[in-house]
Amino acid sequence: MTTLSFRDVEQLSASLDGQLSQAEKTRLEARIQLDPALAAALVDLRQARAILRRTPKRRLPRNFTLTPKMAGIRPPLPRAVPALGWASAVAMLLFVFTLGTNLLGRLSFGAAAPLMAAAPMTNEGYGGGPAATQPPVTDNTQVIPTTEAFVMTPPEATPTGETRLGGGPAATQPPATENTQVTPTAETFVMTAPEATPTGETRLVAPAATPATKSTPEPVNIWPYIWLGLAAVLIAAALLIRRASVQAFRRKVGGKHNT
Amino acid sequence: MDEPALIRDARHGDLDAFNTLVLAYQDIVYNTALRILGDEDLAADASQEAFISAFRALNSYRGGSFRAWLLRTVTNACYDELRRKRRRPTSPLEPETEDGDEVESPRWLADPTASPEEQLDQAELEHAIQHCLENLPTAFRTVVVLADIQGLDYTEVAAVVKKPLGTIKSRLARARLRLRECLQSFRELLPAAFRLEEERGL
Repeated sequence: MTTLSFRDVEQLSASLDGQLSQAEKTRLEARIQLDPALAAALVDLRQARAILRRTPKRRLPRNFTLTPKMAGIRPPLPRAVPALGWASAVAMLLFVFTLGTNLLGRLSFGAAAPLMAAAPMTNEGYGGGPAATQPPVTDNTQVIPTTEAFVMTPPEATPTGETRLGGGPAATQPPATENTQVTPTAETFVMTAPEATPTGETRLVAPAATPATKSTPEPVNIWPYIWLGLAAVLIAAALLIRRASVQAFRRKVGGKHNT
Repeated sequence: MDEPALIRDARHGDLDAFNTLVLAYQDIVYNTALRILGDEDLAADASQEAFISAFRALNSYRGGSFRAWLLRTVTNACYDELRRKRRRPTSPLEPETEDGDEVESPRWLADPTASPEEQLDQAELEHAIQHCLENLPTAFRTVVVLADIQGLDYTEVAAVVKKPLGTIKSRLARARLRLRECLQSFRELLPAAFRLEEERGL
């Protein structure tokens, strides 16, 4: 009887599973017949293997089938996706177009505004503060013949004879009508109608107080609103179709996994 | 079951085809995980994780035994779980008796079709085997679970653990040797009928 080496155990274990060649098997069987320790070890190993093979199988706690979410599968795209893509593109173009036309409209409308705003600025100089710093103009020949000059030139017409600021005399001058020919704006009318200042004191120009101003109604461009509405409808339709298709997919998948 | 066709369809994203494969292999996958991990919940998690990983990595399957490939995936998931367990050890929430002792074989785990005696025999046998398996190093445990409990041949086991046949033979012999010693200490607990079968030389 010999002590078993690990090589012996390995051969005994492999022989149980039929993993030895014919020559190895014959040699091992001969040794087992001669060595009771080898035979006992073989019985022990066989028993151990038999016990392991008797290990009870546990029932599954649940099914391990995958849901689309587990598998990372997204819902399939609806058939209308190409159409929706085009609709989105069109909606975007309409939106940009609408935005552009609105902005351009505002810019072009606003471009006239500075011209009109320039009038009160210049008039303010003669009718208000800046004129107060200037010496009273008494000589007509020194005045540059500009539109403003017409306003400034007639200081001799001051009823009280005292030196007046630019606003006062101009207001009392009839030649101010020439001014209206040059810049026929509302602000000009303001300058030509200071009769309401009997004391001749300096006054600021107040466009709101112009009784002669007439605002012409601006034509309303409805196309931007139409495009905007159309774009909103297209986007809403795209979202609704997408939502409906996702819900249909969920119903389908949910039904499959519940069965 | 046309396995190659199902694998091909699953590779193209057919989840139903893959789930057919899951249904075919989930039993062996779960029981392998259970024997390696020794915990039902962890085994269920590892099995689910393995199937998810398998679906995502189907393109890396290069033919051969699909069962071996799947078992390799679950073995890796079990190793990950064991590493996690080692980093964050937890105490099990076993049910307790009125005296506060843990119930090692809860009633709800028993097979309702077996008689009470059979249930007891099975529970004792399972407990003894699981105890001895858990005393083995993980590499030995995996080989013995695959070869002796799940019945894979050496070639498949080698494919699962990606080791040469000689290593499989050696690990299996060592594992059986250790298990023999361990199970001998449980011999009195093993069912009498089973002992008689063993003595007849199964």
